[in-house]
Amino acid sequence: MSGRQFVLLTLNGISFGALLFLLSSGFTLIFGLMRIVNLAHGSFYLLGGYVGLTLMQGGQSFWVAMVGGALAIAVLGFVVERGLLLRVRGRTMPEVLLTVGLSLIFADLALARWGGDPILLDRPSQFAGTVELGGVTYPEFRLLVLALGVLLAVLMWVLQSRTRIGAIIRAGVDDREMVSALGINVNAVFTGVFVFGALLAGMTGVIGGVFLSLYPGADGEILNFALVVVILGGLGDLRGAIVGSLLVGLIDSFGRSLTPSLSYFLLFAPMALILIFRPRGLFGRATVN
Amino acid sequence: MNGLRIIKWAGLAAIVGLAIALPYVISSFYVNMATQMLFFGLFALSINLIAGYGGMVTLGQAGLLGIAGYGLGIFYTSYALPLGVSALLAIISTIVVAAFLGLMLVRASGVYFLMITLAQGMVVWGIAQRLTTLTGGDNGLRGIARPPFAIEYWSYYYFSLAVVALCVFMIARIVRSPFGLSLKGVREAETRMAPLGYDVKRIKLIAFTISGAFAGVAGLLLAMYNNFFSPPSVYVKASAEGLLMSILGGVGTITGAFVGSGVFVFVTNYVSGYMERWPTLLGLIFVLTILFAPDGVVGAWQRLVWAPLLRRFGAADEAELIEVGVGGGGLLSDRDRKVLKSATDGDSAVPEEPSKPVEETRAGS
Repeated sequence: MSGRQFVLLTLNGISFGALLFLLSSGFTLIFGLMRIVNLAHGSFYLLGGYVGLTLMQGGQSFWVAMVGGALAIAVLGFVVERGLLLRVRGRTMPEVLLTVGLSLIFADLALARWGGDPILLDRPSQFAGTVELGGVTYPEFRLLVLALGVLLAVLMWVLQSRTRIGAIIRAGVDDREMVSALGINVNAVFTGVFVFGALLAGMTGVIGGVFLSLYPGADGEILNFALVVVILGGLGDLRGAIVGSLLVGLIDSFGRSLTPSLSYFLLFAPMALILIFRPRGLFGRATVN
Repeated sequence: MNGLRIIKWAGLAAIVGLAIALPYVISSFYVNMATQMLFFGLFALSINLIAGYGGMVTLGQAGLLGIAGYGLGIFYTSYALPLGVSALLAIISTIVVAAFLGLMLVRASGVYFLMITLAQGMVVWGIAQRLTTLTGGDNGLRGIARPPFAIEYWSYYYFSLAVVALCVFMIARIVRSPFGLSLKGVREAETRMAPLGYDVKRIKLIAFTISGAFAGVAGLLLAMYNNFFSPPSVYVKASAEGLLMSILGGVGTITGAFVGSGVFVFVTNYVSGYMERWPTLLGLIFVLTILFAPDGVVGAWQRLVWAPLLRRFGAADEAELIEVGVGGGGLLSDRDRKVLKSATDGDSAVPEEPSKPVEETRAGS
């Protein structure tokens, strides 16, 4: 492998990792606090992308589409959380399976509304060019995604470790009952976190529409990447999501280039190792329950 | 009591008689539907075995069904081995893969188990789609034959009936065996099983592997039915549909799997002719079942009809067993069962229990 190819694959891996982080941070946050594995997270991503598509077809810019997709999915997340998940709160399996049922419905409705052909969204005009980086010509948009990923990581870190709401969330992850005993409305916090996760998923969908394209089945594929990220990193942990995303992004990038037909399997190997030797993931830890 | 036993056996005999008479009564379209109901039912039952009896809910079972389906296709079409040999090798491959996947799962339970199986299933699907030299990619594998004595729609129906009946018999034996009971023990109180001297990881691994083998048999029947195998049969959606059948019918029951597959096949074959958005309908059925009937059709039947009957005939003990859910209910917590029971009794007071979150990511004991 030439040095330039190595740089290119590394950049691809890191920028894809950033996209995965945008998605899996919300996923892992929802799990960490609510113990809900939201298997409709991939659907939120895809629907967000499609809402962005509709906005862009209506002549709106990428930025409007991104905000629109994020807000639309935030509303959807609110409806799902208040209308359905609240009814089965605290019953682990029904919660997860409810999101599975929803993902089947969303996938079918998206197919009905937006059809089955893959669609690539246009890059924002400000980031449509390329830059020279380490001897390779690299698209600006991917660097933008990388920057967004870093920005979100910093934001979430500050939010978690420096603000009151972050303290409540951290406390909620460790001991939900104690938090509610302190007079904090845990249900409101839950809804807030779920809606925030949905918002991120919707936003990432529009970005992913430029990055990867939108098509039926993209929901399941991106969800699988997010799952591997949190299995590697440890559920409910921000550092785990960062490291897991980068790891998965890099493995996928190099895997696709070196053995295209087996890249999925390459992803699988570290997951198998982690599960056998560190079943809680790299950063997973025991929670007080 | 004896009266009830007789009713039960008479019911079973009626079902068997009906199953045998079916091709003489209905047209080929419906016989084919019945054939699908049989192998999808077996698939749902394989999920039921670990989800309902073992409390391990899987979303990757279609991956194992796919190993067998692809195995059959590869051995039979690419290596031109005889059909029987190919089928045998396909099942052996499925067992080996299931055991390997199971090794990754033995330390997980609950939602964590579900997530890992989902990821595993996606990996099998990804390989099926990308390893085109072996699997044909999106085009799938063509030319998978039915056994020479079961080419016609009706003979293939009887063939499937025989295979599925044999599997059901074996599964019924397994769940009633000491091993089956220890599996229920894992479902009810995993942490208590180890101090009692049970090797929980071994029980889980064996259960997962057995379940995978039965999913593999369903995969063989599916592949031979279509003469074809392709990635959608392996996709997470197929796993979710299997789980839907299992839950809709009633987890932890054997008949439930076939009730569930019956509804599924009815929607995919019949309703789909009249309603374009039938997958949405399936999703809605899924959501509504989980919200309103978590013990499924058969569970509700047992709770609302069978248990009161047992009571009337003086078998209060057995009725009690059904009502507290010892017979099944991997999806239900103890509290859920009490809620359902009090609803059945017409007792509006729902017992309030402190919500004690279950520890999900239990590392090995």
